[in-house]
Amino acid sequence: MRTAAERTTPENVEALSEIVARCDREGRKILIVGGNTLAGMGFPPEQLDVTLLTSGLASIVAYERSDLTIAAQAGATIQMVGALLAANGQFVPFDAPRPQYATLGGTLAAGWLGPRRHVYGRPRDYVLGSTIVLADGTIARAGGMVVKNVAGYDMSRLYVGSFGTLGVLAQVNLKTLARYPRARVFLAPLPERTRTRACHQLGALAIAPAAAFWIEGFHNAVDGEAGPEGRVVILLEGSEALLERATRDLRSALGRAGVPETRIVDAGARESFERVVDSYVASLGERSVTYRLYGTPDESERRVIALQELAQRFLLRAESIVDLMNGDIVLRVSDLDTHALGAKIEAFDDALHEAEPQAQVVAGDHPHRVYLRVWGAPPASIERMQALKARFDPNGTLNPGRFVGGI
Amino acid sequence: VLKERLVEALGSDAVKTAPEDLAVYAFDAYTDGRLPTAVVLPASTREVSAVVKVARECGEPIIARGAGTGLCGGAVPVVGGVVISFARMNRILSLDARNYRAHVQPGLINLDLSTHVASDGLFYAPDPASQKISTIGGNIATNAGGPHCLSYGTTVNHVLALEVVDDRGEVFTTSCDDPGYDLTAALVGSEGTLGIVTSAWVRLMRLPEAVRVWVAAFGDIDSASAAVSAIIAAGIVPTALEMMDAVITRAVEAAFHAGYPTDAAAVLLIENAGFEDDMAACEGAIAAIVKEHGALSWRAARTAEERAALWAGRKGAAGATGRIAPNYYTQDLCVPRSKLPQALRAVEEAANEHHITVGNVFHAGDGNLHPLLMYDKRRRDQVGAVVETGNAILRSAIALGGTISGEHGVGWEKREAMTHVYSTADLATMARVRDVFDPQRALNPEKIFPSGARCPEVTPP
Repeated sequence: MRTAAERTTPENVEALSEIVARCDREGRKILIVGGNTLAGMGFPPEQLDVTLLTSGLASIVAYERSDLTIAAQAGATIQMVGALLAANGQFVPFDAPRPQYATLGGTLAAGWLGPRRHVYGRPRDYVLGSTIVLADGTIARAGGMVVKNVAGYDMSRLYVGSFGTLGVLAQVNLKTLARYPRARVFLAPLPERTRTRACHQLGALAIAPAAAFWIEGFHNAVDGEAGPEGRVVILLEGSEALLERATRDLRSALGRAGVPETRIVDAGARESFERVVDSYVASLGERSVTYRLYGTPDESERRVIALQELAQRFLLRAESIVDLMNGDIVLRVSDLDTHALGAKIEAFDDALHEAEPQAQVVAGDHPHRVYLRVWGAPPASIERMQALKARFDPNGTLNPGRFVGGI
Repeated sequence: VLKERLVEALGSDAVKTAPEDLAVYAFDAYTDGRLPTAVVLPASTREVSAVVKVARECGEPIIARGAGTGLCGGAVPVVGGVVISFARMNRILSLDARNYRAHVQPGLINLDLSTHVASDGLFYAPDPASQKISTIGGNIATNAGGPHCLSYGTTVNHVLALEVVDDRGEVFTTSCDDPGYDLTAALVGSEGTLGIVTSAWVRLMRLPEAVRVWVAAFGDIDSASAAVSAIIAAGIVPTALEMMDAVITRAVEAAFHAGYPTDAAAVLLIENAGFEDDMAACEGAIAAIVKEHGALSWRAARTAEERAALWAGRKGAAGATGRIAPNYYTQDLCVPRSKLPQALRAVEEAANEHHITVGNVFHAGDGNLHPLLMYDKRRRDQVGAVVETGNAILRSAIALGGTISGEHGVGWEKREAMTHVYSTADLATMARVRDVFDPQRALNPEKIFPSGARCPEVTPP
């Protein structure tokens, strides 16, 4: 990647529009940068002339507390918005890693999916409206500040997950939720031959946990002791009354699975949960590559075992996080140093995609990352996506080459 | 030629061109209609694809149609063309109860899905009032809502993947788990203008273990709407929070004996579904707020039958207004929830000004109003007054920071009003998506986008 000749930090949407339009006319390519927390996703840009930082667009535009809506500029950090909402007893369930740096725009543009979405829904479902700057400088608004809106195409949802390749998000309007009064985390090491039963029991709880993970590795990053089969980290959220019942149910479910020891974290439960989410994209610099796979809960255990065996065949260290509620798998493979990893990672990537064509790279700074199938196999509708890109950004000005299928 | 080629592709029993057959498909639940050139009833994705190819080669547009319950003329073949009815594609193709998902055909009736999966402890959450007859495909086209989308979200939150026939008759699939653009989200709510959905994978939810339904009565509409705003402002989002005014409750009681008080100016129908452990606290919190706002009464439905009766009354409310006037026109607008009292006052003022009887029955918790304007369509003066009232109501919603459609769609009816909420640049940006999926404007033409003369930028390149 060439170092950008120019960095620019527009402080209002008109300035953003001018910069983007000028670059588009002059054939200069723009890399859009939010908090850099998900920079491990996507290919490096094919060409880079201007680095556009969204940090100059970081204000709260309107907080309608009693409407449960908020409008903020895209460069606002998740933590800043979250703190304002929390002070008013509200939240938006983004579950973004490293929220102190992650921006609204970056998190949404990357299509980030967190572990609590099985309860709260996807981040895209909280986006009520947006302002975007297209490559030609057009400032386009979509949606509004109302919670139901079917006036025209849902452009905002299309921008979520578009990786900055259709336009630069300048503002998003969000729906908020009232924050549950209580959160509690359970930590339990898994003894021999308990994993399968534990995963099954957790999936069958009447009160579904807000999040439940089976984790192998990530020893210092995630709370709790690991057993021979890893550990589980479970987040419960709800009222005091519900939490009590969920706690009893969970204890007996884990007991039935043969998992005796559990540690409860009440003070600092949310932080404990956030450490797991941070680990989704925590890289060991150039020594690791992290993959993410989506699927269904009933398949995830079998798949992750197969992935660990595959990594072993390549003499790579494998660590994994399985989201037992959504079926997501996070797999971090690493080696002693960058050369050791570089010698194997491409062959591993080939073998991995043979078994799991959809695996995506989400973190890792190894120079060979550019040779990996970062987005997995192209989706069935890739030609339509390429056509959309061509219609929105015909000169390929925005984040060129970073996205799926060369978009 | 069109007819022959369609018959060749589908067989004669699946193609209708006789005027008396076409007349049925000229209308949906909007007041105006146009005759299609032909109607087809394909039985498979392959047949849908064949129909599109034939229609395109004959220069005919294509209009996908579910049950025709749409209120905005979205299924009306405005410039003629081939209407595709999905009446024969109405099956559940597969059910994966363990992973909470089902693969269904677009002609499946919404309620049939929930009924079918109930024995697995599951349900399909979007529940438009039309759910006994409206189809999943039609619901997807309009991103349909319903009372329970207050907490469960609208249709788009419940669609995981789509199989779609495009404007050239090619089949493609989208999944919200695919990397790349979220085409699934773009297609839901696009009113049949970006593709024709031929099957959908939808998300199912677990049936709640506990359900409570309460009815609160108020002496005036203002207090009821202020109570709704206060409930939301307190951060309480029950599963459903509906409001009906006296015009509606009296009609509902006359028709159904559902259990609503008829001496109140407004009632709230409130449902909370979830866990037994949370019910008492939820009831206490909501009851306290409604009492603070001067509720005349607060009552809990004691049995499942009582709950069902209250809901049947609510969902049958529009039909029950037949006792008030021969016709009604339903407006659909959405405002910020703190603006409910102002929005309802504006509705009343507009109706008074034009001497129109209005009944309000709507998703109060979402700020999604449905004023029903009563009229007799044989009286031209009343028709004109209803149109004027509807427009005045839309203008007031926009002035309050709201929008022109919360859940019914834009369709044919509201396309000119799009210019009141969006700039030319905003609409032209939407049109870029259309350019990719339907450059010839062959799929459900003359919908959503304002007619060309008013907005030259919003025409194909």
